[in-house]
Amino acid sequence: MRRSWLLAQLGGPLDCNCRADGRLIDLLALGDDELTKALAGRRLSELRGQLADFEPGELARGNGIAEICRHDRRYPRGLRALGVPPMLFAAGELRRLVRLTTAPVVAIVGTGRATDYGLEIAGDLARGLAASGVTVAGELADGIARAALIGALEGGGGAVSVLGGGVDVGAPARSRSLLAEVKRGGVAVSELPCETPPRRWAAAAAKRIVAALAAVTVVVEADDSSRELAGARIAQALGRTVAAVPGRVSSRASCGSHALLRAGARLVTGPADVLDLLCDAERPAHESRDRHAGLDARLRAVLESVGAGIDTPQKLTANGEDAGEVLHALSELELRGLLARGDGGRYVARSAVGRLVVR
Amino acid sequence: MLARAHTFTIEGLHTRHVTVEVDVRAGLPAFTIVGLADAAVREARERVRAAILNSGYEFPARRIVASLAPADVPKVGAALDLALACALLAASGQCPRERLDAHVLFGELALDGEVRACRGTLAVAQATRQAGLGRLVLGPSGAREATLVDGLDVAVAERLSSAVRVLGGGDADPLLARSSDVVRRSAGPGPDLSDVRGQHHAVRALVIAAAGGHNLLLSGPPGTGKTMLAQRIGSILPPLTRAQAVEVTRIRGICGSIGGELVSERPWRAPHHSMTTAGLIGGAQRDSIGEVVLAHHGVLFLDELSEFARPVLEALRQPLEDGRVAIVRARHSTIYPARFMLLAATNPCPCGYAGVGERCRCSEAELARHRRRLSGPLLDRIDLLAQLDHDAASHASAPAQIDSARARDLVTAARERQTARLREDGVTLNAHMDASMLRRLLALDERCEGMLRSAHERGLLSARGRHRVLRVARTIADLNESERIRARDLGSAIALRGDAGLSGKRAA
Repeated sequence: MRRSWLLAQLGGPLDCNCRADGRLIDLLALGDDELTKALAGRRLSELRGQLADFEPGELARGNGIAEICRHDRRYPRGLRALGVPPMLFAAGELRRLVRLTTAPVVAIVGTGRATDYGLEIAGDLARGLAASGVTVAGELADGIARAALIGALEGGGGAVSVLGGGVDVGAPARSRSLLAEVKRGGVAVSELPCETPPRRWAAAAAKRIVAALAAVTVVVEADDSSRELAGARIAQALGRTVAAVPGRVSSRASCGSHALLRAGARLVTGPADVLDLLCDAERPAHESRDRHAGLDARLRAVLESVGAGIDTPQKLTANGEDAGEVLHALSELELRGLLARGDGGRYVARSAVGRLVVR
Repeated sequence: MLARAHTFTIEGLHTRHVTVEVDVRAGLPAFTIVGLADAAVREARERVRAAILNSGYEFPARRIVASLAPADVPKVGAALDLALACALLAASGQCPRERLDAHVLFGELALDGEVRACRGTLAVAQATRQAGLGRLVLGPSGAREATLVDGLDVAVAERLSSAVRVLGGGDADPLLARSSDVVRRSAGPGPDLSDVRGQHHAVRALVIAAAGGHNLLLSGPPGTGKTMLAQRIGSILPPLTRAQAVEVTRIRGICGSIGGELVSERPWRAPHHSMTTAGLIGGAQRDSIGEVVLAHHGVLFLDELSEFARPVLEALRQPLEDGRVAIVRARHSTIYPARFMLLAATNPCPCGYAGVGERCRCSEAELARHRRRLSGPLLDRIDLLAQLDHDAASHASAPAQIDSARARDLVTAARERQTARLREDGVTLNAHMDASMLRRLLALDERCEGMLRSAHERGLLSARGRHRVLRVARTIADLNESERIRARDLGSAIALRGDAGLSGKRAA
């Protein structure tokens, strides 16, 4: 409790430190006194006094929000190994948190500025994993994390979302509806007390909780900046399995994943690969490539073109194909759920599993 | 002595009959005009005095009172000059009075007595014909416009003295033949559709929009040819019918183009995005006409749609839905026709490059703001969405798909089919079909029903979206000369539907 309060107090100085690679993690690993000494600056004596007189009752408490200490039996096992957040605040049912964190946990992380391809893959992965009883952990952020959480909720609700602020107010306005969904179907957790607004350092610190919760961390799309690869680095440091989904080699959004793969991360192409990683099993080398055997030749040609990057009506008609025919084929595929419309008129191939329509 | 002459004043797009009564009697010399005259009418005193004197008549040095009836209607513009002068001359015995009641006098006077045309000539001519007031006397430059009204007796008076001669039973001045130096309004055929390389689906969408009168949104990064495409729609729209042309000429005549010929090409309005709501709809002042009205029977093109102020875009909803605008202000209310086709172009995101590789640098919040700005009720009324993208390699070498002449033939043929089918329902274009007409006129086969059902189940189409897709599908079938909507017509319509995530990342 004291620790959570202290972190909320030190938000400003921590923000200043969250840019430097690894610095934040080191700082957070310090004890209360060292942390205060390192960051409090002029407020040192004041904070020390307050820390000494700290009463747990002073901390704001939200309705339906559980607090779990690290000495509690129900405290997630993965975090115990890390041992850093001494206190976890959870919204959603506590029993559900216990159930979700005792099941195998996979973290799906990646860039906030994902491409349609990344969003599709993240959603499909999460959906497949959640349907197989695996818990999907992720931050409450834009892009890949968001797609993964939605996918997990669709796939059966096995979603744990880590917030960079109090579990009541720690989400930016545009993510509130998603947070509500997560609370209904999964669990939202945070190391910060209620009524703590989202802070930049806390969003970065949330990455370490996500990585620590999970046995396997899958990077779907990330560029090669340290910020976007932070989740994978932390997971590596914790000795957890890191996996990555390859993208197109020309895409900047995937160059971080490629760097990880080059450095020895495991390759993931679908939920089955992740399940194999969880069981640590080699999978049979062959797999049926042709998932679209039922389609007629015309539709299949269009679908394959889209898969090969000829993904807008404009490119599909560039060689003089009849626009009406192409548009018709695209609609047919979209109606069958094999394609979805993305950014700027682009079409994205998707796996044709039944899914809920969110919103 | 008292004399009475007839004329009209313009009120918005409508005309009001005005009776000019002039009383000349003994008293201190004075010239008073009563009856809610605006500044231009009050200044008529000076013009009328000079014109009368310069035409060789006498300006009576007595007490003159001119009353403009009905007294509570504001009178605007200089077009009352001719009626004032003639009534004054009649009241002072210099002009025969008997025929004044059988004439409508409409024109501004120059100081030397020349009669000038005024805006709104066609509207006044129509009103004269409707009210059965007899002969219309006006200046030579407006006469050609007035002769567009069938069965109206038009007399041309080049000068005040000619008007007096006409009122005395004499001959009118000859109607000016169209001289070569009269500026023709039509500026030639305009840019041709064959200039567009590649972009097949967008060209297709443009042709569909033109054929069915559908509203079209072009979305794409800068430089992909959105504006280029939009500017070519004029070249593939069929010319106005005569009735439409008269309507358009009337509106143009009131808005300031004087002495125009019959307008033959469709109006094209492309206001800048700094436009205000009053500029779009009209009604800032009593007689201000908005862009939507000027675009009646034509095209309203809004480039950079997301840059327009939100209230302006919201104000488009009524005209798009009803084909008219009802303007209500504290002191006046009126209804104007505004049946236009909306053509809009927008960038997919604030920086313009969403979907172009990694070039888009907009944050998620910016994208959300952009989406919010465009989403909702306005997009709900846009039937077609064509998304363009950069594809430089194929552009230069791609063959032109279709030229304007052929596209125009296709469009005209498709419109004829629609008109034949829709005649009994009082509309002419597929875009204007309502839900009951869709139910009645569109027999869908099993395959099409199945497509619509699965689109609905996948959350791709709302109920309103379904109607829009059906209207567009009907137009595509018309373009393909098909009596029934086939699956491929419907498929194209679904692929070009307007309600999909316009830009940015999707929620799921």
